[in-house]
Amino acid sequence: MSSIRIKAKERNGSVDVKTLMKHKMETGLRKGKDGKKIPEHWITDVTAESGGKVVFAAAFNTSISKDPYLAFKFAGKKGDMVKISWKDSQGKTDSAETKVK
Amino acid sequence: MFRFLRLIPLVLVMTFSVIVSAGPLGIGSVATPEMIAGWDIDVRPDGTGLPDGVGSVAEGEGLYEAKCASCHGLFGEGEGRWPVLAGGEGTLDTLHPEKTVGSYWPYASTLWDYIHRAMPYTAPQSLTDDETYSISAYVLYLNDIVDDEFVANRETFARVKMPNEENFYVDNRPDSKNERCFENCADPKAFEIVTTINGLTPTGHFKEDSGVAANHYDGNPSAASESGISKVKNDTKIVLSDKANLGKGVYDMACQACHNPGIAGAPKTGDKAAWVSRIDQGMDVLNGHAINGYQGADGVMPAKGGNMSLSNDDVINAVAFMVELSR
Repeated sequence: MSSIRIKAKERNGSVDVKTLMKHKMETGLRKGKDGKKIPEHWITDVTAESGGKVVFAAAFNTSISKDPYLAFKFAGKKGDMVKISWKDSQGKTDSAETKVK
Repeated sequence: MFRFLRLIPLVLVMTFSVIVSAGPLGIGSVATPEMIAGWDIDVRPDGTGLPDGVGSVAEGEGLYEAKCASCHGLFGEGEGRWPVLAGGEGTLDTLHPEKTVGSYWPYASTLWDYIHRAMPYTAPQSLTDDETYSISAYVLYLNDIVDDEFVANRETFARVKMPNEENFYVDNRPDSKNERCFENCADPKAFEIVTTINGLTPTGHFKEDSGVAANHYDGNPSAASESGISKVKNDTKIVLSDKANLGKGVYDMACQACHNPGIAGAPKTGDKAAWVSRIDQGMDVLNGHAINGYQGADGVMPAKGGNMSLSNDDVINAVAFMVELSR
């Protein structure tokens, strides 16, 4: 199962996208029970594409909470596909796609 | 012993009268199976008590967004301080455990039972059995416990295994009885007091000239002055009418859950652009929508914000409060 959930709804030519990315967003500053620092692991880049075009991009850093929730709008229409992907500090990536309702 | 013997016939009579119910005294009537069924709505972990019915994750998505998401969040993340339903896996043994359906609940049956009894908050027991199956399935899906093709019915729902089930177990430690000692007891004088609970409450600042600052300003000395500043700002910006001032309390209680963050299509309080077309319709229309409920293109305004204990005047005052802040 993808770590990303997306809801996209169109109204008056504007698509309202809400998304939740499951990610632990470890800052690298916290210490675990063994007293050692928990290695950093956080999302660095989030990109949203629709119709082959980037409609939203964000650079995250360690100030973003665990399981980030993101909402944004772009000009689009019903039936468009929205693809959201992230890349994290350990080089892992994930993406998910949904149809605009 | 004598008293005990005297009680026996009484107990017998009581037992007897329960069995024949409307027996010797002719009071009451025997509960019919239908009457019992009305109360017997609990659902057990093994699925006992689940009714016939069927519901899918797909159907649950729409229902969840319409009836649950305004408080529990689109993804079960919880709006404001409303309960979080999803996430929190692996946090139970940390400093900030997040107890959600997926991270904490031992049995899926509780989900069905709870939603069926108590949800939605504003209209409990208004869901049909099928709707309850659908929403339960969708909440399980939000927690990644089932996939998006899951269809819940009596059999499949009872088979759902919750991730945290193993961490619940029967506590079989024996009861300890605190029996009073009458003979050969320990001598209290021989007890050695190792520690007493003392010094937990800081009392320094209660004493005059102790030189200790009051605790509540520690580390946050600006707390008092800050709130003072923001208050002055508010006062100078918008002067509320008496009606609107009366409505503030109602707003905090019944309206702000949706109108503060602007969820479920509710116009945000203070968002002039969102309010202008609504204010243009006139206060009578706004009051009517707020009192009787309204289905608009953006979303639903439940009658009286879902709090039927409010009087019409309460609602009108709250509307005045929102409108005056938003024009």
